[in-house]
Amino acid sequence: MGNKMAVCFFLPKKIRVKVFIRLVVLAGLCQVGVLPASAQQKNNKDNIAFIKYTGFPDAHSTWDDIGYSKQAGKVVVGVTNHVDKVMLYAYDVTTGKMTNHGSLADRGHLRPFQWQAKIHSKITEGKDGYMYFSTDGGESREEYFMEHPAGYSGGLFMKWHPGTDGFVNLGLGLPYESVKDMDIDPVSGKLFGISYPQVHFLVYDPAKNSLKDLGRLGSSHVPRVLFTDWWGNCYYVDWRQRLVKYQTAQDTLLFARESLPAFEGTPGEKIVTGITAYAKDQKNNVIYAITYGAKILAFYPQKEGIGRVEDLGGVADSRSNIKPWGPYVPNLNIGDNGKLYYFVGGHGNFLIENRTVMMEFDPKTKKHTILYEYPVDQLSEATGSDTKDQFGNLYFAGRRELDSLDHSEPFLIKFNPGKKVSR
Amino acid sequence: MKIRSLKMVLALGLVGLAGPVFAQYSYFKPLEGFGIETSLSNTALLRMPMYRNAITSLTVQNDYIIGGTTAMGNRAPFLFVASLSKREMLTLKDLNADVPGQTSIRTGFFRTADQALYAGTMAATTGSGHLLRVVVGADASIRVTDLGTPVPGEGVFALTGNDSRKMIYGISYPSGFFFSYNIGSKAFKVYKNSAVTPAERHVLVDEFHQKPEDYLSGAMVTDQQGLVYTSQPINRLVVFNPADERFTTLSELPAVWGRRTLGRTESWTKTADGLLYGGNAGDGQLFQLDPATRKVKNLGKPAQMNRLRGLCVGADGKIYGLSGASPGYVHLFSYNPSGEGFTDLGNPQFILKAPGIEQGIEWRGFQLSAIAASEDGKYIVMGEDEALSQLLVFPVENGN
Repeated sequence: MGNKMAVCFFLPKKIRVKVFIRLVVLAGLCQVGVLPASAQQKNNKDNIAFIKYTGFPDAHSTWDDIGYSKQAGKVVVGVTNHVDKVMLYAYDVTTGKMTNHGSLADRGHLRPFQWQAKIHSKITEGKDGYMYFSTDGGESREEYFMEHPAGYSGGLFMKWHPGTDGFVNLGLGLPYESVKDMDIDPVSGKLFGISYPQVHFLVYDPAKNSLKDLGRLGSSHVPRVLFTDWWGNCYYVDWRQRLVKYQTAQDTLLFARESLPAFEGTPGEKIVTGITAYAKDQKNNVIYAITYGAKILAFYPQKEGIGRVEDLGGVADSRSNIKPWGPYVPNLNIGDNGKLYYFVGGHGNFLIENRTVMMEFDPKTKKHTILYEYPVDQLSEATGSDTKDQFGNLYFAGRRELDSLDHSEPFLIKFNPGKKVSR
Repeated sequence: MKIRSLKMVLALGLVGLAGPVFAQYSYFKPLEGFGIETSLSNTALLRMPMYRNAITSLTVQNDYIIGGTTAMGNRAPFLFVASLSKREMLTLKDLNADVPGQTSIRTGFFRTADQALYAGTMAATTGSGHLLRVVVGADASIRVTDLGTPVPGEGVFALTGNDSRKMIYGISYPSGFFFSYNIGSKAFKVYKNSAVTPAERHVLVDEFHQKPEDYLSGAMVTDQQGLVYTSQPINRLVVFNPADERFTTLSELPAVWGRRTLGRTESWTKTADGLLYGGNAGDGQLFQLDPATRKVKNLGKPAQMNRLRGLCVGADGKIYGLSGASPGYVHLFSYNPSGEGFTDLGNPQFILKAPGIEQGIEWRGFQLSAIAASEDGKYIVMGEDEALSQLLVFPVENGN
């Protein structure tokens, strides 16, 4: 950019102004990612857009905290400064308008000692139209101070209505513990949560204000994702990466006999961290999942018992310089075409060094196709599971690296494999 | 001056570099530490199922780690044997097969010279706990003898014994009766004057809304003369003299101002020199009791939380203990009476290997409920209090 501006200096003023305007427009487009400057565009650039969150200069990141409201037609995202301020955003998929709906602290009537560093859970829709989520301590004060008064008071269940703007703080999970992920039983309205760092599985019934702690399920590194099936059962993993099913009708936990598939030699820390993302295809009764050990799985849930699991292979074609379990994929979506879409990279685990790639995976042919490739200063990580609007657009919570000191800028990623997307 | 400034800048730079290192989380991870998987649901492996495995009693005999558990709800507890050298579970006994209706073995074990272990149980439905005699064979088999119910309608909350007198002593739950059991005559004796008085109950229950498990002594110990030490409400350290069968209050337990009603002993250990070390559940103080002088010395709190659930002595002469409990996080600590005093070791995190996880996974101990030293003091064994609890073991430095 600097060199181009220097060249402009020797051109006539009229042309310089035109070039300058074009450069500004180009820079702006690069900023929102419509035209990733150095992306390998094997898919059309019009199929993807990076959309900014406005009015939050401290915005740092997003962490799996994305979901779609079918009733309101809005994608809801929690954006954080990664210290103590989380803002709720909603993107209207019809008008393309992004709206800031205020901070959790203000909306949830939190006191300063109840600071929340982020929403790390999915944001999921209940029958009542509310979007449910949970909060996370997510920074050094939680990790180190723990139960000390200067530490973290604990994660909360919350809900926000994108239609009425109603906001309800549903209360604490466990003292001092984050509620790392949550989901909802679409039938009964019960909420499920997983605590951090002690990995306790929680069941909260808002109708009765009843919280059950079903106990610790994990090891030293907390699996970040739980998900539900169409009957309201909830799934998690234990330290052996075995599926654990909360059977909603029986109010009991059921453990799978066998561990989920993993590459031979997968290190223990990958095994204990379980599933990182999922996408549901209810029509075909399959839930696709990606593990921390970089496997893609097809899980066929059943109302009773634990369903069948199919190993679909790795998240990428094998590379001699990459351990098969190495690439990190904390996101997954399924297109209307039945193919899976995900970004590979983040937290230092890349397929291509310091570059984030968007992959298309066909579960039928098991073919991987890299659609886009970004340097980390354009896209360093994408999170979020199963977020699709009524037009077949897929959404991810993205961010780009600003420097080597963990400063980053978040943005919403909108992608459609078959159509041009609007911002 | 310039050189001095340069040095200053260099020093500040080093401090800046050192900062992030100090800020990192560190666990207690001695290289030789290891976990033993004792609990796992739906498996062909020898494991305890969910909600029946909180390790609340623990001892080590030769190579055998022997545990007794507490179950949640009306489920039955287990007795188990694991091998220190093989690092695996060897034997599992469902207590319901021998003594039906019990839910907890929370007293710890008292061992007699004939290698028999005595423990007490709690019962949910009838309330009547039992006194057990447990013998672990050379083949790790577990034989349980039901010695009966010390106090009908009451559980056994704490227990100790005196091998030379062939006596077992205990505290009943919820009334807090002190009782004895004569191993030779098999006779129980209940000391009715030891129960919590109505006046005390008024303060504890009506005023402070406490439950019996919040104020009853959870641990007892005997000294070399056979005197029995325990606590009684409110916050009294008490000695029972078997010779005259009288209770004498020695002093108050060390307490934080305003929290006397929470005071109760919940752990004890005895050092080779005959000194007794106790833990006060109310605020987590460690204290020393010299039986010769009957003086109590408050050694302070190893960490912030209340509770001090377990104590034992390592071959290095240090006392190892468990400070804190849910809803906080347990800190393993050591106390060196002749050296550094307290060292907060934090959460232990050891490698756990088992069939199916041969590569090893790291297991972090958040809620630890029991701790015991091997007979030679070279290993410290800790048991968890979780829905799925495991054992964590580490060797003591200079223990060889």
